[in-house]
Amino acid sequence: VKKASLSFPTPVRYVEIDEERCNGCVLCMKACPTKAIRVHEGRVAKVIGACVACGECIRVCPRGATRAITTDQGHMEGAKYSAVSASTVLYSQFGENVMPNDILLGLRKMGFSYVHDLSYTNEMFNGAIELYIRDNRKKEHAPWPLISPVCPVVVRLIACRFPELLQHIPSLAAPREIVAREAKKRLAIKHGCDESDIKTTHITPCPAKMTCLMEPFFQTHSYIDGAVGISQIYNLLRKNIEEVEEDEVLHHSGGVGLGWGMSGGEISGVGMSCLAVSGLQDTIDYLERIEMGRLPNIDYVEFRTCSEGCLGGLFTVADKYQAKRYMQQLVRMYGVEKRVKYEYIKKLYTRGWFFADKKADIRQGVLSRTSLTERIDRQKRVDEIVASLPRKECGLCGSPDCETFAEDVVDGRVHLDNCLYFQEKKPKSIGIGCESESSRHREQAVP
Amino acid sequence: MPQLRKRYEIEPKDFVRAGEVSLQVQRTLRNLGFDEDLIRRASICAYEAEMNIVMYGGKGELVLTVSPNEIVLNVNDDGVGIEDIAAALKEGYSTASAAYREMGFGAGMGLPNIKRNADFLDIHSGHGQGTCLNIVFNFAGDLE
Repeated sequence: VKKASLSFPTPVRYVEIDEERCNGCVLCMKACPTKAIRVHEGRVAKVIGACVACGECIRVCPRGATRAITTDQGHMEGAKYSAVSASTVLYSQFGENVMPNDILLGLRKMGFSYVHDLSYTNEMFNGAIELYIRDNRKKEHAPWPLISPVCPVVVRLIACRFPELLQHIPSLAAPREIVAREAKKRLAIKHGCDESDIKTTHITPCPAKMTCLMEPFFQTHSYIDGAVGISQIYNLLRKNIEEVEEDEVLHHSGGVGLGWGMSGGEISGVGMSCLAVSGLQDTIDYLERIEMGRLPNIDYVEFRTCSEGCLGGLFTVADKYQAKRYMQQLVRMYGVEKRVKYEYIKKLYTRGWFFADKKADIRQGVLSRTSLTERIDRQKRVDEIVASLPRKECGLCGSPDCETFAEDVVDGRVHLDNCLYFQEKKPKSIGIGCESESSRHREQAVP
Repeated sequence: MPQLRKRYEIEPKDFVRAGEVSLQVQRTLRNLGFDEDLIRRASICAYEAEMNIVMYGGKGELVLTVSPNEIVLNVNDDGVGIEDIAAALKEGYSTASAAYREMGFGAGMGLPNIKRNADFLDIHSGHGQGTCLNIVFNFAGDLE
């Protein structure tokens, strides 16, 4: 029998594991939502599968061995002009006395020739969502509910684990991409230079934004040349904000676009039945519900895999709940009435201004060329092994759970002896008051 | 002909674990590399059948059988049974209690949903006799 092994398109890596610091514990492997990590020979964790850049492995590592790969600042080289936009999370990172306008001026003082307030584009995007939902309602058999295309982790998670749901994601470009695209176009015209002379930077709370550059899902290429984490420029920006002297107004947006950094911020400006779901586990639960058609009467779901939304991103500096408080203050201060005219948004929407230039691809691991007969045979062998395992899901074998271990064995990646319990052919008693048998299993092997 | 059989027990009134069996079915079919549309249809049927047992069944079981040309779900329980099968197949017909409706169930979509998504559905039931569903999905042989 040919071996049926899972093959993924060349994985783009978003995390690197420091082999010096890693002690081969199971935490990152257990946390990975796509089961992409294995602990190699009990010593060191390795990424072997499709990574969706959720950052869970970074969050759980007590030794700081997992790190996000970021773009270096080299992307600015050869730039005649530079444009920057920042996630609205940035506005919540400097406490309640620093206003968005101060931060935008600080960015300009840092040397960016063009500073764009992303919250303005966010508000416009809200209008585009409403128009898209209305269009979608008119179509028969349209996928329902729609899923926000904004969080890059969610999009990748769907491509890996819920490929059927890709069609629920509107092919709208995220505001950060629209801003970068327009900045290049407009500055090139203004200065009479080539678009490649203009380099765009996005300041982000989230390592996954790097992924949009390396591997854009909805664009043939990304218009963002570099993504920089908030924590990476925090001290420099803080110093520049303190030294700002000029008094120009760069911030024009209202509260609707400002609140996007919080869970629920994106949908707060959409006047339809929307849900905001945040956190990785809840995101997976609700994607499962949508897959089973169990989320009726909802038009649009804003998913953010970080809890509390982008405020919970790995590159943030401020405590996320404090930051949430500041952000709520900003929303109240600038008011929730919309500032961009509906007719203007509609005109741009009709012209395709909000749309991405391609559909997302399925990134699911596909079984290599084997027949169904062989795949059934493989699954039977997997099930047989699973039935013989104690189902403690301990991960000591180096695979994230018993079922994945059985697959790894059948596919020839590891030996059955890697299972500590299997070595002695009987379940060991480890732990407090442990059960002697795996009596609580509902699934039983059928002879 | 190779055949994969998996048997799952379903506990009545266990709303905490409800849905777990259909997730297992879905996972298995996905591991086998089936077409996404087929996986979706089969998972929806498994879910509806599972929920019927959780709500109305006594002890029940779901047996998944995968062969190179069909997927079969056999779902049996020794619960209250269905008195009027023809009526139960109509959308909106439900015998659910007010409590179940409050939980978001009992819209009378269970069996109709199964019938719509399956290629073949056979129901054996009667008042107090438990229920036995035979749900079949066909596909064009080996996927090569």
